[in-house]
Amino acid sequence: MGGGVYQRGKAQQAPQGVDLGGTLRAVLLSPLVAAVRGPIDVLGRFSRFGARVLLTVPTRRWSVREFVTQAGTLTARCFIPVCATIFPFGAVIGVQGMAIFDLFGAHRLLSSLLSLVIIRELAPVLAAVLVAAQGGASFAAELGAMRIKEELDATAVMGIDPIGWHVVPRVLAMAFVVPLLTTLANAFGVAGGYVVAVGLYDQDHGVFVHHMAQLIGIFDLGASAFKGAVFGLLVGLISTWRGYGATGGAEGVGRAVNDTVVYSVMFILVVNYQLSSLLFGGTGG
Amino acid sequence: MSALAAGVRKVGAYAWFTVDCVRATVTHGVPWDRVMSESYKVGIRSFPVLFTMALFVGSNLAIQGHAAFSTLGGGNLVGMFVALAGVREVCPLLAATMVAAKAGTEMAAQLAVMRTKEQIDAIEVMAIDPRSELVAPSIIAVMLTLPALTVLTIAVSLISSMLVAVYQLGVDRGEYLSFLVGYLTAYDLFAATAKSVVFGLIIATVSGYFGFFSERGARGVGQATNRAVVTMCIVIITLNFALTSILYG
Amino acid sequence: MADSPSAQRPFDAIPDGDPVISFRDVHKSFGDKHILRGISLDFPRGRTTVVIGPSGTGKSVCMKLIVGLLVPEKGDVWVGGTNVPDAPEKDLMSVRRRIGMMFQDGALFDSMSVGDNIAFPLRRHTKLREAEIHDAVDHALEQVGLPGIADRAPSALSGGMRKRVSLARAIITKPEIVMFDEPNSGLDPLTSDEIDSLISRMKEELGITFIVISHDIVGTFAVADKIAMLYNGHLVASGSPDEILHSEEPILRRFLARNMDLPALPGAKP
Repeated sequence: MGGGVYQRGKAQQAPQGVDLGGTLRAVLLSPLVAAVRGPIDVLGRFSRFGARVLLTVPTRRWSVREFVTQAGTLTARCFIPVCATIFPFGAVIGVQGMAIFDLFGAHRLLSSLLSLVIIRELAPVLAAVLVAAQGGASFAAELGAMRIKEELDATAVMGIDPIGWHVVPRVLAMAFVVPLLTTLANAFGVAGGYVVAVGLYDQDHGVFVHHMAQLIGIFDLGASAFKGAVFGLLVGLISTWRGYGATGGAEGVGRAVNDTVVYSVMFILVVNYQLSSLLFGGTGG
Repeated sequence: MSALAAGVRKVGAYAWFTVDCVRATVTHGVPWDRVMSESYKVGIRSFPVLFTMALFVGSNLAIQGHAAFSTLGGGNLVGMFVALAGVREVCPLLAATMVAAKAGTEMAAQLAVMRTKEQIDAIEVMAIDPRSELVAPSIIAVMLTLPALTVLTIAVSLISSMLVAVYQLGVDRGEYLSFLVGYLTAYDLFAATAKSVVFGLIIATVSGYFGFFSERGARGVGQATNRAVVTMCIVIITLNFALTSILYG
Repeated sequence: MADSPSAQRPFDAIPDGDPVISFRDVHKSFGDKHILRGISLDFPRGRTTVVIGPSGTGKSVCMKLIVGLLVPEKGDVWVGGTNVPDAPEKDLMSVRRRIGMMFQDGALFDSMSVGDNIAFPLRRHTKLREAEIHDAVDHALEQVGLPGIADRAPSALSGGMRKRVSLARAIITKPEIVMFDEPNSGLDPLTSDEIDSLISRMKEELGITFIVISHDIVGTFAVADKIAMLYNGHLVASGSPDEILHSEEPILRRFLARNMDLPALPGAKP
């Protein structure tokens, strides 16, 4: 529900006396309290849900067939968004990188920097963000609508655990599909840079390829996919958590989708920082 | 081919919707009270999230820039990397993506709910144009607030990257600053702001389009929100390439 | 097409009882679903006309056609002197400003208080001062029997109250026609009765044209001056409540019989 100018209460009686203390409290204090208490609350509820889902995995009381279906749809639906965004991203790095290396007359280094940034950082993050926006949001929307229409209750009444049936396959599908898409994104991102460097700026094909693997190795490809898997698991848990717990009719479904995207992007960026320090911190410094 | 035709029709419908919003605003006037409330929603409520993200992204920029350049024998070039990559590309995109994720999806969901609950019909029956009443204010609001948020994002990420570069990576502060200031131009700030104005238009109109024409019901609301956020992400990133080519190509 | 001459005059020039809204051979379909198959129907000025029929027969579609939210494939919808489907935007807006509508679930804006909801059309269409708007809102709330709730949030109201607030919002601009979309749906029998008596009372107070869409037979006979029944996209019967009660139309008889089985039905016996 939108707040805004149409405040409830005395909104009609024109803003004659402005309650300065109240305003200050509202502006300064309440976000502060919310900033401290909100995240702790949210994290607590999220980890409880996550634990419940992950503990259901080894019981094997979940449908493998559903997992395959979900993984298939997820790949089909997210493939184009991921590739369509990482490619121009690679191209942008090409354009800007050319501008930077122009300053040093070191064009040949472009592909080194490009593959480093794409594979270590951008591909996993971008793939996960796009999957969150496309797949995660649709998981939240589906589960939310099922919750609102009491379909999840119906599943439970039939003696089927809705977590095992609806949630676990989706979470696992995410954890499985995001690394795949990340690996694809690595290729598409570098290709985007290649098109700019070789196609637009006439860099030599051989130079580009030769320097590509200068800064990175097979470890980085693995680390990239590993990041993807972690992000996928996170997005899977967040989206099903918001959808599964949706309340309050159609608005509730909208809120679930909104929360999924916001939380996913936040978690991805924060966790990415940790993972980068963990995986590449030693080699970088 | 029919998928392509459907896609083209969608883009056409979206373009018409945008034109309609502008036309409705011209003929019916702008409800400035709604512009204010929308700006508040977009600006103030996206800021905490954006602030946190800018901290992390800024430090990550420093770490990656350092990693890349130290192998090439120039760890102190990190200031330049942050100035160029961060200000030109990462910060405008980060601000736009976060606002799209938070405010954009919220607008799409709210419009879809209003469609479901016949509130948009109610506005029309009152002889008020729902586009000028509901969509136009958010267009203005996002186009005004996103540039401001982008500038704030730039400031926060520059500070956080400097802290990481100096205290974690051991880069000399004077050297960092001289490279930062040396490579950062007013044109970069102008370009970042210009980009974010365009992104703002995209966020408000795309989320408005999907919310406004959503199907009724819980499923419809979810679907509209989902489509809005994916489309926003793809269009913003693709457009970023075009804008970079125009501004720096 | 317009064979109803009075329909082309402005609203206030139309004598009481002459049609203020006329459907002429209206067809409307959604995809391959043909909802209205040639409806011709008059709504007399200053009377309450109730359109009944099973759900999915296009009653709500009729209402949306009147205010131009939908456009028919074929046929005319005359409102006063305006043929709504062909009307330029300016004329359409002036038609809409003469019509108020009570929505099925209220269609109140969640982000505004009850008072702001009711004040909304006044704020957008008039230059009244806040104090005057305030008085008008209080008066409208009193008229619908809910004094003093202007500060509440719509989400805190019951279904019946939301409908009443929706009515208050509809009448605040002093429209010449008020439309009611399923005033009884989703209400318990007692609240339903209250809404019916509210409609009758408003009718006496305002003396304007009412159009009611309903599948509730009891309520229909309680408020109607004229009843029209839609079935399968056709108009199967129309006339005064008395004529409808004595009609031999088989579909109408079946529809009535099903609902007339209810024991507590005042005035149901012919």
